Amino acid sequence: MAEKKILIIDDDQHLLLALTARLKAKDYRVICAADAISAITVARREVPDLVILDLGLPAGDGFRVLERMRDLTDLVAIPVIVLSARDPADNKKRALDAGAVAFFQKPPDNHEFLSAIRHALGETVALSTFLRT
Amino acid sequence: MTSEASPRVDASEDLPPASLILSPRDSGRLRESFDLETSATLQGELLDFSAWSEILTTYGRTMRVAVALTDSQGQILGKCHNAQPVWQLVHDAARSWGSGCPFCLTTHVPCTAVAEALKTGGAVMVRDQAGLTHVAVPLLLGKLRLGAIIAGQVFDRYPDPLLLRRVAKEFGVSAQRLWELAREQRPVSDAILQASGDLLCALGNAFLRQRYGAILEAKLAETNGRFRLLVEGVRDHALFTMDPTGRVTSWNGGAERLLGYAEAEIVGQNFSCIFTREDIQNHVPEKQLNQALEEGRAENEGWRVRGNRNRFWANVNITAVENAGLARGFAIIVHDVTEQRKIATVLEEARQERECLQEKLISHVSHELRTPLTAIYLFTTNLLDGVFGDLTPAQHEHLTFALDNVKQLKSMVGDLLDITRVETHKLTVDPQHLSLAKLIDDVLSTCLTNAAVKNITLRSDVAPGIPFIWADPARVRQILINLIDNGIKFASAGGNVTVATRPAENESFLCLSVSDTGCGISRENREIVFDRLSQVRSTAEASRTGLGLGLFISRELVSLHGGRIWVESELGHGSIFCFTLPVFSLAKLCAHVLTAPNLEAGCVVLIAVEVAAVEGAVQADLLLEIRKVLERCIRPGLDVLLPSMSDAQPVGTFFIVACTDDKGFEVIASRLVRELQNFDSASKLKPVISSTTLLLAPGPFGEEQIADVAARVEQLVQAHLLGKERRKWLKRKF
Repeated sequence: MAEKKILIIDDDQHLLLALTARLKAKDYRVICAADAISAITVARREVPDLVILDLGLPAGDGFRVLERMRDLTDLVAIPVIVLSARDPADNKKRALDAGAVAFFQKPPDNHEFLSAIRHALGETVALSTFLRT
Repeated sequence: MTSEASPRVDASEDLPPASLILSPRDSGRLRESFDLETSATLQGELLDFSAWSEILTTYGRTMRVAVALTDSQGQILGKCHNAQPVWQLVHDAARSWGSGCPFCLTTHVPCTAVAEALKTGGAVMVRDQAGLTHVAVPLLLGKLRLGAIIAGQVFDRYPDPLLLRRVAKEFGVSAQRLWELAREQRPVSDAILQASGDLLCALGNAFLRQRYGAILEAKLAETNGRFRLLVEGVRDHALFTMDPTGRVTSWNGGAERLLGYAEAEIVGQNFSCIFTREDIQNHVPEKQLNQALEEGRAENEGWRVRGNRNRFWANVNITAVENAGLARGFAIIVHDVTEQRKIATVLEEARQERECLQEKLISHVSHELRTPLTAIYLFTTNLLDGVFGDLTPAQHEHLTFALDNVKQLKSMVGDLLDITRVETHKLTVDPQHLSLAKLIDDVLSTCLTNAAVKNITLRSDVAPGIPFIWADPARVRQILINLIDNGIKFASAGGNVTVATRPAENESFLCLSVSDTGCGISRENREIVFDRLSQVRSTAEASRTGLGLGLFISRELVSLHGGRIWVESELGHGSIFCFTLPVFSLAKLCAHVLTAPNLEAGCVVLIAVEVAAVEGAVQADLLLEIRKVLERCIRPGLDVLLPSMSDAQPVGTFFIVACTDDKGFEVIASRLVRELQNFDSASKLKPVISSTTLLLAPGPFGEEQIADVAARVEQLVQAHLLGKERRKWLKRKF
């Protein structure tokens, strides 16, 4: 199976660095974008399998990115996981309603976060990962 | 000298004597508005001789007698007399009368006429040695003996020359001259003297009462004037009165200024003109008057309208004025509190703004803290998880400490956010079916590292078979971690912290306790430990970590669950923190679908979905996935997917309570199968769906039925899980 491609959209360079290292160690291909406008450009060019999206971004917040992705036929099917420092009480439902598959508040629990990534990439559908042989 | 009680004068046999008709004793009917006994000023005013002199002089001239006014002690307050020669002669000769009676032609014997008259309440006639007579009449006001009038110095018979000579000698006047003067006087008969005494008595008392009335009137007028001045002088309150129908009867200057109507234009008008149009349409004026009538007074605040149609915010006080149980009208005080209201509004706005600002600040701070925290967390975990290769044990240990600190920071940031939520009432809990035993084990293992640092043993003493609870797992976790961390903080090294269950006062609650072997909490501190930012300082414990918000947030979270939290402690004997959480109730969970309209569909069924899989046990993660699939299949408001009712091994059986008919059941069943097949493309789950009927419609429906259904569901679920009574279930294989 070809490497899954994950696009991380976040303006924090350190987070990009750390998360990229972690995901690359899990054999994912990682590409990054640091603002809302380049995020869409990169997404259309690369067509990732999953997007990890921050909400507070320069040049338009994460919700704008979510909306834009839902409007574009080539991006509409890509699952988005929101990873934001914002209060989930105010933002989680809004993000899920806007089409995100999961919401994580920073800092996320590594185990839960990685399993959500796996799930979003469709890797959990394979029952063999659950069933003992 | 002789004194005798007045003999009755029988002017006519048929009529009562004048003395009776005019008796001053009738003055008992006089209403005494003033306390006469103590009001010396009033008594002085009543017996002011300047007021009396005219009437007494007239009387004296008419009756040709001398007249004097005395107080109740017989002291002469003033006298007037006609030019009586005998009187004149004697009085000119006498040097001083002292306390003696000037009417008696004697200087050494006190005259008892006044005392006698005040005692008997009638006219008393006294005749002296020379044959001169005088009459004392009492002045009475109610029960009060004010004084007396003495009239006399007339002969009641032809004078006795011998006696006259003795008097002349006593006073040092010429006996010859005295005799000549006396002979010129015409004697007056006893009866006439007596009648004139009675007349004087009536006259005097009538005048006294008139005077009393006049004084009262003057005083009343003065008080009224003062009151009117006061009422008029009140400028910032409108004071007005109304008749019982609500028409204005008086209107002060303040009302004129505040409400903008002149007294002349408003008196006689209904007071509803000061109300807003909406209030008049809603009958507010009448309602307020009725309230005042029923309760005596009515106070309210609201918009009122001035004459120029401007509105102002008024504080209105209506008092019902009653007399002998009859409504006489209303007294109204209106105060313009627009400014106060403005100030209060501004203050409230400022408070809200401050709160909003505070919330913004804290959420901003927490947001800004989270970003670097995330980076640190990710870098640390990357290293710890070997992303960049293996670590030496020392490196691993130090990074673990770093991670612990990151976690601590993370929870503090969370606490900060929770505090803002408490203040803005945004803190919420999302209760669900929850197994405590598992959660407690989980929490204890989380706290293990912390406890190990201080060599503190964590123990769990949870009674077997405790019921499931209905609570938010993340929040219960948070409460327990707060309490356990607290216990670790305060327990001395080598001590222990125990989480235990204990019976709650109420069956529908479960009580949890976290006890430590620490220094304990004094009585006064026990009250405040749950307060915000309270960190009890103790000498034994110098180091402090955390923000002191843990217990405060825990208290808020427990009360959001409907439970309560408290602490039992004694200094030096450790502390026990206890809190209660509601026990899970199937009836409560099912209640929202077991409604009369839902039951009209036909029946309530219990559906069992078994995915008891291939070989071996099904993994917990998979079960969670399957649960999510099933959640998508149920119809909210009609079906309930029951929580996992077993605490033991994960079981591949799920239960759904559904309100449906037979066809509806088929629809659900096929939907379940379709969704499960979508999920399980390899067809390894082999689901078995069976159902059993719980309740057939129609029938009586109420709390009792819900409880019955819940009890049966519980029973059936247990039996099904134990593999008993499966025969009764209608099975479908796919």
